[in-house]
Amino acid sequence: MELKGVEVIWNNLDYLMWGNFPGGIALTLIMSVLAIIFSTILGILTGISLTVAKGVMRQLLVLILGFLRAIPIIMLIFWTYFLLPVLFNIDVPAIATVIFALSLVGAAYIAYSVYAGMMAIKPDQWQAAFSLGLTQRQVILYVILPQALKMMLPSFINQWVSLIKDTSLAYVVGVAEFTFVATQINNRSMVYPTEIFIFVILVYFVICWLLDFTVTRIAKR
Amino acid sequence: MFDKLLAPHYLWWLWDGFLVTLAISFLTIVFATLLGFVLAIARQSRCKPLQMLVISYNAIFRYSPLLPQLFFWYFGIGNLLPLEFKLWLFDEPQIQLGFMVLKMPSFEFIIGLAALTFYSSAFIAEEFRAGILGVKVGQTQASLALGLTWWQTMRYVVLPQGFRIAFPPLIGQYMNVIKNSSLTMAIGVLELSYVSRQVETESLKTFQDFAVATFLYIVAIVIVGTLGNLYQTKRLQIRN
Repeated sequence: MELKGVEVIWNNLDYLMWGNFPGGIALTLIMSVLAIIFSTILGILTGISLTVAKGVMRQLLVLILGFLRAIPIIMLIFWTYFLLPVLFNIDVPAIATVIFALSLVGAAYIAYSVYAGMMAIKPDQWQAAFSLGLTQRQVILYVILPQALKMMLPSFINQWVSLIKDTSLAYVVGVAEFTFVATQINNRSMVYPTEIFIFVILVYFVICWLLDFTVTRIAKR
Repeated sequence: MFDKLLAPHYLWWLWDGFLVTLAISFLTIVFATLLGFVLAIARQSRCKPLQMLVISYNAIFRYSPLLPQLFFWYFGIGNLLPLEFKLWLFDEPQIQLGFMVLKMPSFEFIIGLAALTFYSSAFIAEEFRAGILGVKVGQTQASLALGLTWWQTMRYVVLPQGFRIAFPPLIGQYMNVIKNSSLTMAIGVLELSYVSRQVETESLKTFQDFAVATFLYIVAIVIVGTLGNLYQTKRLQIRN
């Protein structure tokens, strides 16, 4: 019984990898990479704004970030999936709305790590840099940020792993990523669900673990 | 003006969905905390195989998405359960609990609860572990030197302090449980996200519908956050 389940996976391995291109594991990886890149850039920028901004602007930012962190990602995907087309009267592909939603949520979490990192740098550093005659921009860019990012790397990795995992939510709006493709195969065969989903879980595990392992390894050097 | 609003019966649907979300989240929080606690203790034990088991449990459940895990429990383990049990559940049996009668939850609800519990317990176990590790080694050594056994050291010295350290991130995990409960819509649990999709298809008032659902989620998160803060300021203040 165990072997036959493996056979189903083996026979469909190609489909699980690529789907009807783009799809399957390949699409999961593409979406993960894009979401990671966008959310990290946006997150760092927002984190800096959170440190620098004052007054109403800052409160508005805190409110938006709080909103993004409080609602389930599925709700945000619904918002973007059903409302972006209505608001802008354009046809946005489902993949793009999911990447958009994931980037926003990821950025909200990364922004707080960046902010925490920058706050954790000793005030002496800020003072020393300012008294050397650097502008605020230079202080942040060359003195504070590099140290903060280094310190917050573990938290970044956590967030990136979460993003990879969250790409599976694209399933709910019918994007043919890995989880979706796996359920298709499961619906077709319907005999070996246990084996199929153990395989899916293991593949995600390997992807997430590899990311963690390589980034930690590179950072140590 | 009023035709722009959601009809009252849709609001009741959403409210029912919200109650299911609260119920599944609450039960998950209770069970996952217990299981997470046991895992964290087992991780501290000096029995190597047990340690390895807990480490791999935590790694697998934390490094893979909840959605495939839900499918695994629903399609995989759900299929292995005896048919009689499923048929019995299908009849929505009533349970007599002394003076009150509880309706047995649906099969989907039970599977969703199990999946959420196993998933969340791995995260909660890690928070407990971080709390335990946050207690200085000197504390353990001192209490062992005083002649306390390993269990007594854990019970009276390490855990009470570790719990205080672990409490704020624990509240964060509880919030995650509420948010993660939305994924159970994929296996057909009639919780808030599922209902909001239903209302959306039927009423076509996308904006109003999602606004209400989103608001309810925020309410739930704020409740957990406030309760956590209250507990922390009332009970967990560090006494010197």
